[in-house]
Amino acid sequence: MNTAALKELLYKMADDQLILGHRNSEWTGFGPLLEEDIAFSSMAQDKVGQSYALYQLLHALGEQAPDTVAFTRNAPQFHNCQFVELPNEEYDFSLIRHFLFDTAEAVRFDMLTQSRYEPLAQLAKKIRGELRYHTLHANTWIRQLGSATEESISRLQAALDKAFPFALGIFEPSPFEDQLIEEQLFAGEQALRLRWLERVQTILAETSLHLPDVTLTTPEFGGRNGHHTEHLQPLLDEMSAVFRIDPTAEW
Amino acid sequence: MKVVSLDPRVNRLPEISGIDSISRKAPLDQFGTYEVFVQPKEGKPFQHEGIVHAPNLELAFLLAKETLTRRFMCSSIFVTDTRNVFVSPTTENDQNVYDLIPSAGPAQGNARPYEIFHLFKRGKQHVHAGQVAATSPQEAMWIGGQSLRAGKMIYNVWAAPTDTFRFTRDEERDLWLTLPEKKFRDAAAYKAGDKLKTFLEKK
Repeated sequence: MNTAALKELLYKMADDQLILGHRNSEWTGFGPLLEEDIAFSSMAQDKVGQSYALYQLLHALGEQAPDTVAFTRNAPQFHNCQFVELPNEEYDFSLIRHFLFDTAEAVRFDMLTQSRYEPLAQLAKKIRGELRYHTLHANTWIRQLGSATEESISRLQAALDKAFPFALGIFEPSPFEDQLIEEQLFAGEQALRLRWLERVQTILAETSLHLPDVTLTTPEFGGRNGHHTEHLQPLLDEMSAVFRIDPTAEW
Repeated sequence: MKVVSLDPRVNRLPEISGIDSISRKAPLDQFGTYEVFVQPKEGKPFQHEGIVHAPNLELAFLLAKETLTRRFMCSSIFVTDTRNVFVSPTTENDQNVYDLIPSAGPAQGNARPYEIFHLFKRGKQHVHAGQVAATSPQEAMWIGGQSLRAGKMIYNVWAAPTDTFRFTRDEERDLWLTLPEKKFRDAAAYKAGDKLKTFLEKK
């Protein structure tokens, strides 16, 4: 088994989930209605939990313990796509990001149920219910607000236009694409992107929203290689504040 | 001047304005309510867990899942608009409410299925009893009194048409698959009492 390829895959997935989980948790207490606040916060918690499961797999492959990996790296050592580190902005942007990212995440884990790396296939099967809820949540809101009022449609459309190049950054090719596919660890970013586009378009077709032309959009790459926006480091500083004061703190 | 605060309650305070601004009071911009029923475990009856606010039935189902089943155990939920639930009178002590429900009278059109819920103890939750076919809520309760009473003392009955519910679909049963592992959502899991004790002893 190609451990280097596998680790690269696990790191980018785990980092995506940790960073977006932390971002989405910033909505706790500020959600548009109480029930939605609870739902969005719960899903943020799920994402952090899923990243923890992936960091545990990495630990079993010889990497540092999950807390060390999560709290002691700086921005250039993170492999998340830039999409997940962008600030929350208004709920329209957060919702569109939730829709675009979680659709990709659900398809990725669905593909990973076939992975030859058994612990990852097991994890993918175990969390399928969480991912089903996340995509049900995203799809239901997008269907609702994507065809509700002029304001809701135009706000979601503006958010979609802004988010799309960053969403394409999720699928930045890995230097190990061929090995991952060959060893049947993961069917690859290109296959994932195709299935993602199809699902996203199916939902958007039920709304008044339009996906920007993918052939005319330059993806925002770089995150997978540690090139990040100015927004990631402040997030990491905040996330690791308690750990840096007292690494043994428990709460 | 518009106040901008990190606390949303402060931002929601009415703006200060002059005396010339007398206007009609606006209605509250709140969503309607939906009743949520939860099945804690396969084979156990559904019971009323609470209500959520939502703009429609599908969103009510979506929001009910996290609002009312993010802790403990759940295998399935169902949800209906509060306005679909018909409520019998309420009794106490030795008075079974079914004895007060008059016979249904002549049929009013086609029969449809209703879900029936029973209250066994004042202040507790309504528990799902079963389904009957009837042409009106009153007839549904009357038939429930014949077929679902099972010799129990019942103080209140709810009846709601089955086709108004959003049920959990078979393929959605996995929504709660990892719930039993989420002990961190349980206040007890933090063992706050133990931690406080250790802290005080160290002092």
